[in-house]
Amino acid sequence: MTSRERVNLAVRHREPDRVPLDLGASAVTGMQVDTVYALRQALHLDEPGTPVKVMEPYQMLGEIKLDLMDALGIDVIGLGVPATLFGFRNEGWKPWTTFEGTPVLVPEGFNTEPDENGDVPMYPEGDRSVPPSGRMPKGGFYFDAIIRQPPVDDDRLNIEDNLEEFGPIGEDDLEYLRAEAERLYSNTDKAILASFGGTAFGDIALVPAMWLKHPKGIRDVEEWYVSTKIRRDYVYQVFERQCAIGIDNLKRIHDVVGERVTAVFVTGTDFGTQNGPFISPGSYRDLYKPFHREVNAWIHRHTTWKSFIHSCGSVRALIPDFIDAGFDILNPVQCSAAGMAPAELKREFGDRVTFWGGGIDTQRTLPFGSPDEVRSQVCERLKTFGAGGGFVFNTTHNVQARVPVENVLAMYQTVRESGQYRR
Amino acid sequence: MSTLDELKEVIINGNAPAAKRLTEAALNQGTRPGDFFAGAIIPAMDEVGRRMRECEFFIPEVLIAARAARASTEILKPLLAGDSSVRPAGTVVCGTIKGDLHDIGKNIVAMMLEGAGFRIVDLGVDVGPEKLVDAVRREGADFVALSALLTTTMVNMKGAIEALIAAGLRQQVKVMVGGAPVTESWAQSIGADGYGKDAPAAVELARRFIAEAARGMSAARRGAA
Repeated sequence: MTSRERVNLAVRHREPDRVPLDLGASAVTGMQVDTVYALRQALHLDEPGTPVKVMEPYQMLGEIKLDLMDALGIDVIGLGVPATLFGFRNEGWKPWTTFEGTPVLVPEGFNTEPDENGDVPMYPEGDRSVPPSGRMPKGGFYFDAIIRQPPVDDDRLNIEDNLEEFGPIGEDDLEYLRAEAERLYSNTDKAILASFGGTAFGDIALVPAMWLKHPKGIRDVEEWYVSTKIRRDYVYQVFERQCAIGIDNLKRIHDVVGERVTAVFVTGTDFGTQNGPFISPGSYRDLYKPFHREVNAWIHRHTTWKSFIHSCGSVRALIPDFIDAGFDILNPVQCSAAGMAPAELKREFGDRVTFWGGGIDTQRTLPFGSPDEVRSQVCERLKTFGAGGGFVFNTTHNVQARVPVENVLAMYQTVRESGQYRR
Repeated sequence: MSTLDELKEVIINGNAPAAKRLTEAALNQGTRPGDFFAGAIIPAMDEVGRRMRECEFFIPEVLIAARAARASTEILKPLLAGDSSVRPAGTVVCGTIKGDLHDIGKNIVAMMLEGAGFRIVDLGVDVGPEKLVDAVRREGADFVALSALLTTTMVNMKGAIEALIAAGLRQQVKVMVGGAPVTESWAQSIGADGYGKDAPAAVELARRFIAEAARGMSAARRGAA
């Protein structure tokens, strides 16, 4: 059975030969670069000191190359334009060293020097003549957005200001996606998880628009959340326009990539906190669901793609709405959050949604547990989520920095040993 | 409905312009600045906390209510400067721990504590042990509230507590910790005094510490007698 067949069966709620695995096919199913380096070294895939590419600088995700995928039995590969959240492209690689001392390669646009505090600023499009849009604190592992919020004048708010980043996909990007989809489909047997962008409504990681040199509109995280209440119509109108543009782009992309794609990453907007939903189910239905429904309806009417939603946190109260809005796949399945017990989720929603994630707790067990605790939790999750298909094994969100490599190895060893379906 | 009752309602509903207007109106009617807290702001934010716990309010509702409360307190603060009859419930030094730049959770905790009558000294994000120790000493803090969102940074909370011990300030303050990956058992293991799973829990915790301190003091007085 090929990887693609395996994933295709799983997302159609049938049991393949074994539970399929994702690592690195999206910006929320990957691994931080220091950890990738340690893992490659532990598996003897590289000589010591061989740098790893940083594919996503904001979260400092490392490249998951085919040799690592094969060593771990990974079944999914990512497709997306090679742009980063800082607006520069993944090209022109040069050496850099993380605070952990890991040798890495970063794109040419990763153009920075530590500031007077030792923090690492990052600039939109790598342009140091404008203020930085991101910062990695000294000793840190990831970047965070620097909020650049012009004063909000309610009388002059214009939805165009929050739509600057949404527009028709360029011919170059379309051609790239066409060629890349063809290459991945023909040269690998992996299932393709595509991240085309543009269909996440109000994703708080994207609202600050770190790739724009002079963002306008509402860009501050708190101001945005407040705006979903006190400027509800403004936000709704932004989403309305964004949705129309997003669907137009999906049409054009579908024309060039066709059915080579297994699943499409539609949204990464976080709707959950550790304790419960971020917003009320009523607000979800009012402000987000209409657009999720529209995007998913287009996908299901015109393609064979499965629709993928990522939302951290406790979202149990929202899952029925996610399913009703047409999502087929839920990620990252944060079982450490309130009300997200694996057996209950599987029993309640397992026949209607594929769990893509939830393979292990990345808040506690993976970083702080023993290899035995890792094995035992992975075994339990394989059994619970795997029954009847509808499960793609992935950690709950990206594997973070400072995770002991023995735990990562124990996790994949357990998946290999216990992930088989009985025939 | 009295103006203070109305003020309480508009704070709960997150109407900042109305909160400002009603605060000014009540002042014009002769309400003393110190009476707004017990009469409107604290009960309003207690109600917001209750609704959050009961899943009637979510993050945006809490944020707009806190902003409305702030619209009122910003008018009152300068008027209270010389009024020694109005004392904060306690001084809280808060911040997101070193290496971590996430502040929405910390901000909500700070707003809720402020709404409950505490004086907040917000050190912002990426707060190292030195900055924390300086602020605790300078502000005469009663509480330290630390937040972390990352598994890679929550470990720095232990260092912060050790720095307070080394500076001889640990007995002066109660240390509360919180943030997505933080748990009750983690809080205990690093020697924190308490863990708040959300903002209302942090307020409850701070109030419990005050009540315990008051009981301790009266017990000590009885002992002395």
